[in-house]
Amino acid sequence: MMGARTRGRLGGRFWRRLRLVLIALGAALALTACADEHPLDTLTEAGPDAQEINDLFFPVLGVAIVVFFLVQGAIIYMVMRYRVRRREAAAAAADSDSDDFYGDEDYPEQVHGNLRLELAWTIIPTILLAVISVFTLISIVELNEVTAAEDDLRVTVVGQQWWWEFQYHLDGDTSTPPDIVTANELVMPVRQQVPLEITSRDVIHSFWIPQLNGKRDAVPGRTHPWVIEANEPGRYMGQCTEFCGLSHAYMRMYAVVLEPAEWEEWVQGQMVDAAPLQPGEPGYDGQEVFLANCANCHVVNGVTDVDLDDQLDGMDDYAGGNTITSALVAGAAPNLTHLASRTTFAGSIFELYEDRAERIPYLEVAVRGDLNRGDLEAWIRDAPDRKANDADGARGMTAFPGLTEGEIDALVEYLMTLR
Amino acid sequence: MTTTSEPPLQLTAGEQLVRPSTSLGVLSRPKGDTGWQSWLFTVDHKRIGIMYGAAALLFLVMGGVEALLIRLQLAVPGGSVLSEDAYNQVFTMHGVTMVFLVIMPMAAAFANYLLPLQIGARDVAFPRLNAFSLWCFLAGGIFLNTSWFLGGAPDGGWFGYAPNSGLVYSPSNGMDFYALGLQIAGIASLVSAINLITTVLNMRAPGMTLFRMPVLSWMLLVVQFLLLFAIPVITVALFLLSFDRLFDANFFNVAAGADPLLWQHLFWIFGHPEVYILILPAFGIMSEVIPTFSRKPIFIAIGFMGWGVWAHHMFTSGMGPVSVAAFSLSTMFIAVPTGVKILNWLATMWGGRIRFTTAMLYSVGAVAMFTIGGLSGVTHAVAPADTQQTDTYYIVAHFHYVIFGGSLMGMLSGIYFWWPKMFGHKLDEKLGKIGFWVLLIGFNLTFGPMHILGLQGMSRRIHSYAADSGFNLWNLFATVGSFVIAVGVLLFFWNIGVSRRRARGAPPVGPDPWDARGLEWMTASPTPTHNFDRDITVTRQDEFWHRKWRIGDDGKVTRIARSEDVAHDGSATDVHLPSPSYWPFVVALGLPLVAYGLIYNLWITGLGALVILGGLYAWVFEPPDDPEAHAHDDHHDADPSDDSGNGASGGGTSPNGDGEPDSGDGTRQLAEAGVAGGPSAQATEEQP
Repeated sequence: MMGARTRGRLGGRFWRRLRLVLIALGAALALTACADEHPLDTLTEAGPDAQEINDLFFPVLGVAIVVFFLVQGAIIYMVMRYRVRRREAAAAAADSDSDDFYGDEDYPEQVHGNLRLELAWTIIPTILLAVISVFTLISIVELNEVTAAEDDLRVTVVGQQWWWEFQYHLDGDTSTPPDIVTANELVMPVRQQVPLEITSRDVIHSFWIPQLNGKRDAVPGRTHPWVIEANEPGRYMGQCTEFCGLSHAYMRMYAVVLEPAEWEEWVQGQMVDAAPLQPGEPGYDGQEVFLANCANCHVVNGVTDVDLDDQLDGMDDYAGGNTITSALVAGAAPNLTHLASRTTFAGSIFELYEDRAERIPYLEVAVRGDLNRGDLEAWIRDAPDRKANDADGARGMTAFPGLTEGEIDALVEYLMTLR
Repeated sequence: MTTTSEPPLQLTAGEQLVRPSTSLGVLSRPKGDTGWQSWLFTVDHKRIGIMYGAAALLFLVMGGVEALLIRLQLAVPGGSVLSEDAYNQVFTMHGVTMVFLVIMPMAAAFANYLLPLQIGARDVAFPRLNAFSLWCFLAGGIFLNTSWFLGGAPDGGWFGYAPNSGLVYSPSNGMDFYALGLQIAGIASLVSAINLITTVLNMRAPGMTLFRMPVLSWMLLVVQFLLLFAIPVITVALFLLSFDRLFDANFFNVAAGADPLLWQHLFWIFGHPEVYILILPAFGIMSEVIPTFSRKPIFIAIGFMGWGVWAHHMFTSGMGPVSVAAFSLSTMFIAVPTGVKILNWLATMWGGRIRFTTAMLYSVGAVAMFTIGGLSGVTHAVAPADTQQTDTYYIVAHFHYVIFGGSLMGMLSGIYFWWPKMFGHKLDEKLGKIGFWVLLIGFNLTFGPMHILGLQGMSRRIHSYAADSGFNLWNLFATVGSFVIAVGVLLFFWNIGVSRRRARGAPPVGPDPWDARGLEWMTASPTPTHNFDRDITVTRQDEFWHRKWRIGDDGKVTRIARSEDVAHDGSATDVHLPSPSYWPFVVALGLPLVAYGLIYNLWITGLGALVILGGLYAWVFEPPDDPEAHAHDDHHDADPSDDSGNGASGGGTSPNGDGEPDSGDGTRQLAEAGVAGGPSAQATEEQP
């Protein structure tokens, strides 16, 4: 009797409130959509692997949202339907001769359980999850498929505090020294699956370019296989996602995806060593500054005169961590042979050129705009001021208080010759 | 051995040789039940529970301030409130504090206070060990936090992944404090687990079979078993880390051939059950509060089947190298028992007469928020999706909905619910409700947007994000929300102050202010030191409720007795209680000394070891105050066969079958209680 009355009163208000909630939700979604671009967005996939993941995620999310509304709806319904209203409570208290919390007369039926109902709500979600798990298993298998041939390009990805190194094996043989060593920007051909081997030189990092694929941990002493592929040329942002110490937030990277012809051109350019500058040539003074200050850690192939195999040996020592307590090790910093061909530096936290809109064409450095001289010089002057590190503990770039402004200008001029 | 004036020694089960209580200098028991000594040296499970709770609330404030610092730093891109180093310390300590120093001790507070009461016991099995647990936990928590003033707090994350937690990558002493502090707190949990398991298995009131225990008691018992299995694993891991950092042991040194994943395996074998350790006590609380305020019994026919599935998941996922697929599937299927649990709570409310007290609001709020956390959990149990979402703010949102929305809100519900039992007065309902809504809104404002941030690709544990990452709007929302939460928490503390002041001089609230169901309501409020005046003989689930209400053949519920008439008034004076002791506190004091010594100077370790050994020696040899004081272990474990006999006579609908002294069948009950109760220093309720 009373139930019917409550229900009648309930109907209108319930739907009014529900509508309010829906409007609020819609407004929130609209706000999100209107916000500026999200370079790390996991939901705007740009490659087949990210696509595969989202094709699985969205239906599951849909089911979750339906269940969400069912459960929350049930809660709201019961709150309104079975609530003891203030007036009734006061009346009950007046009737009762005890000061108990409730009146004596308003106990509902004491139901302990219902086997059939409980079996139903155990079995139905089980079946639902069984269906989801079939698709999950299919996805897991497909995501781990390597379609690239044995002798296709393979890239060894090496994480370290706090930047990424990419070692290119053009013939797919990762047991030989790499053909190209670069940093922070993973340049790759479009519509071609690139198998990766991910590892680390110090602590655990995680390689993640969300628009292309999920993440994979980079663990020292282990090599984790992963693949990456993009549908369209472009620059896709990435971020280290396993906490790796001081400048974890400043360990970013990009996948730069090129059309096949551009990719070939880029490879040819990277295969060429830098030529040592002779006295009188532009940048020679800077080269001297570089050799005196930077070459202890940074390599410029053809100039710093370090054999690549030795470099890698040095890196292995560095990976030991505990055994190295003092000097920085050659090869422990980004290879700068083609620095000016990149668009970012210092773990991809700074743009190398002023005009950020001109990201592509990647190869035509000249059209990218002016050098971002301010950040680059500040970085050379006092790197720890721009990006926290522990240079004394062989982690990160040290400050160079001894360099004069003239020397820094010369150094920058030299670095810009490294195309 | 004994003096001639004393009666001959009687040896009964559980009793020791009784020494004369003549003064032995420092080896005498502390006296006095007022003042600071009555807290510092107490072995009363209720005082220990209250101190656990107070400490947890204190640490909640500290963890909360850390959270606010995090949110201030992330309010706008390129935040400069904290340095990178400081940020890493703050987020590490926020996680460690909230998990180990807030939720776990809060659960310990409920377990200590309520478990003995709910099973009708006088205290826990080992009262001095119980005091030791408390001081040990507090020693660990304070030790950990002194790192702020000693060169920097831990900075490797609450998960402390090797090798980033090693000496090379974390050169400050912070991670030493982490490893040693958690080790000390772990001793507390382990000791407490053994104590409470023994209590539940051995000290239940006559007729209180395991399956007649309230759901909260069950959940707490399960949690103690989980702790018993999980804590040793983290103990091993922390030992390895400590030895690596302090003595160059190379367990996690990759250059020396180690695999840093060893740490992850150990940590998550612990970490997985830890999730249940954090959530199950709140589930238990919600399972007490929702039936009470819906005026219906908890709706479970096959609920325990669900727990079986849960445990199955736990054992398969923790062990050995687990394939991604197996892990994913087993993780996904936790959703089933979890969902069943949620539906059970809903079904309990269905058709009820729901009173929205603050406690009920928090419980229903916890169901709603936990549902969200559970559903987002399913979306990333799908392993491929998890490769996108793990270590993003989507996960941050997920586990805050589970641990804040589920655990903490559930425990707040428990605080409002049992506050009158603990302190003899209710918390203010109006302030409580305002506080709830403020907290709920702030909570959703903070953690709701984090789902979006995570899907937009915002990583966890970053101290800064670029202005063009597109994270600005929702981070600002979250920061505003976090301060709304802070207001909600302040209202809670304000409420405690206001309600205490108002209650001063007012008569204590009755034994059963909510018309509740558990045995803990069957004695005066605040609970007298000796808990119950007489042993309670239990004949069915919700014994106390059935003594107040009769379910007629037509299903109609009628009152047969007032709570005040059924409940004990706390006037008994002949109940023997364990004496207070200095030594649990002293032994706990030695542990941080050992830890400081390991970091700074091994001589201090030696000193700490002496304190511990001396304390243990005194602990063992301290005398009981009076010969009876030692006769503490009342063997209450009921024989099931005896119990079924009781149940048959009591019946489902019999109003008061087990009988108070005036109920007519007292003689038979006395005989039965004699069998079931065994040697007991406490009068059973059937004795005239």
